[in-house]
Amino acid sequence: MIRAAIAVLLAATFATPAAAQDFAAGSEAKPWGLYAEAPARFTATVSDALCAVTGDCPADCGAGRRQMVLMREADGVLVFPMKNAQPVFSGAASELLPFCGQRVEVDGLLITDPDLGAENVYLVQRIRAEGAAEWTAANQWTKDWQAANPGATGKGPWFRRDPRINAAIDATGYFGLGLDQDAAILKGLAE
Amino acid sequence: MTLPRRIAATLSLALAALALVAPLPAAAASPAEGEAVTLTGEFIDTWCYFSGVMGGPDAVIGSAHHTCAMWCSAGGIPVGLLTGDGQVYMILSIEGDDASNGGDAQFALASATVTAEGRVWRRDGLNYLTVSKILGNDGITRLTHEDYGPVPDFAVPAEALK
Repeated sequence: MIRAAIAVLLAATFATPAAAQDFAAGSEAKPWGLYAEAPARFTATVSDALCAVTGDCPADCGAGRRQMVLMREADGVLVFPMKNAQPVFSGAASELLPFCGQRVEVDGLLITDPDLGAENVYLVQRIRAEGAAEWTAANQWTKDWQAANPGATGKGPWFRRDPRINAAIDATGYFGLGLDQDAAILKGLAE
Repeated sequence: MTLPRRIAATLSLALAALALVAPLPAAAASPAEGEAVTLTGEFIDTWCYFSGVMGGPDAVIGSAHHTCAMWCSAGGIPVGLLTGDGQVYMILSIEGDDASNGGDAQFALASATVTAEGRVWRRDGLNYLTVSKILGNDGITRLTHEDYGPVPDFAVPAEALK
């Protein structure tokens, strides 16, 4: 609760109108060619999402179970980093967890598409704690996955070797409709 | 005015000034309660839906995108509930399980259409949902593979088509 209160107070203290901010300034984010992307580099306080939204705030930000968020210092806006820098279906929570409760600078891509409800959605590419000289690349996810799945060896990217995913495909197929229907769909695709 | 009173008065003035120039974010006003809701929608992969990285929104829901939805859920990308009115609710917990980063409860519901009761918070353009109870699970109801095939096309490996 103290962490949440500090985050709120910091955000309030430094709040200025969002329209006055230029979050692209100084960004070195690599473009992904997404329709609604814009480079954004800013300072924020790291929290877990459940804490920031509901006030349920474990000191360890949930120890990796929870999604993580960024309370942007310039305007108090809650930014949701949904994606890390790796193009392999990997999120951002484990990249931000080491910075739980800290003020950080982040660089990446903001996704804004009001037609789809995408506001303050973020792809984080690099992170550094306040005062640190070096950036940490937000590309640790696959190393964490391999450490958690030492037996998932073989060829191909992690998502072809993940035991939980493969068990689900074995049970209900690639389309999730059951094995009989899956076989019929695959037969049609093969023809 | 005694010294303690002067200090108290100064503090009060400072706090009042802070309140005037720096209004608290919305979450600080009512962080705990949220709005009680019952919603029906599909458990979706929010990154593919919001970013368009795999195509338009109709292609990244339902059966066409089921394998990718599992990849993203297992990969720690946030899961959302897409309701019939096009709203997306970012799921923070399911029946007390706060494992929104790749947890089993959300993984097991990838692409399924469910009815859930819980609480919603709206914050800076996004909806956030804590699910207190799953009331029903209709499984995968959108047969989008009929229009799109697998999305992305490599979701089904070549050897599965032999």
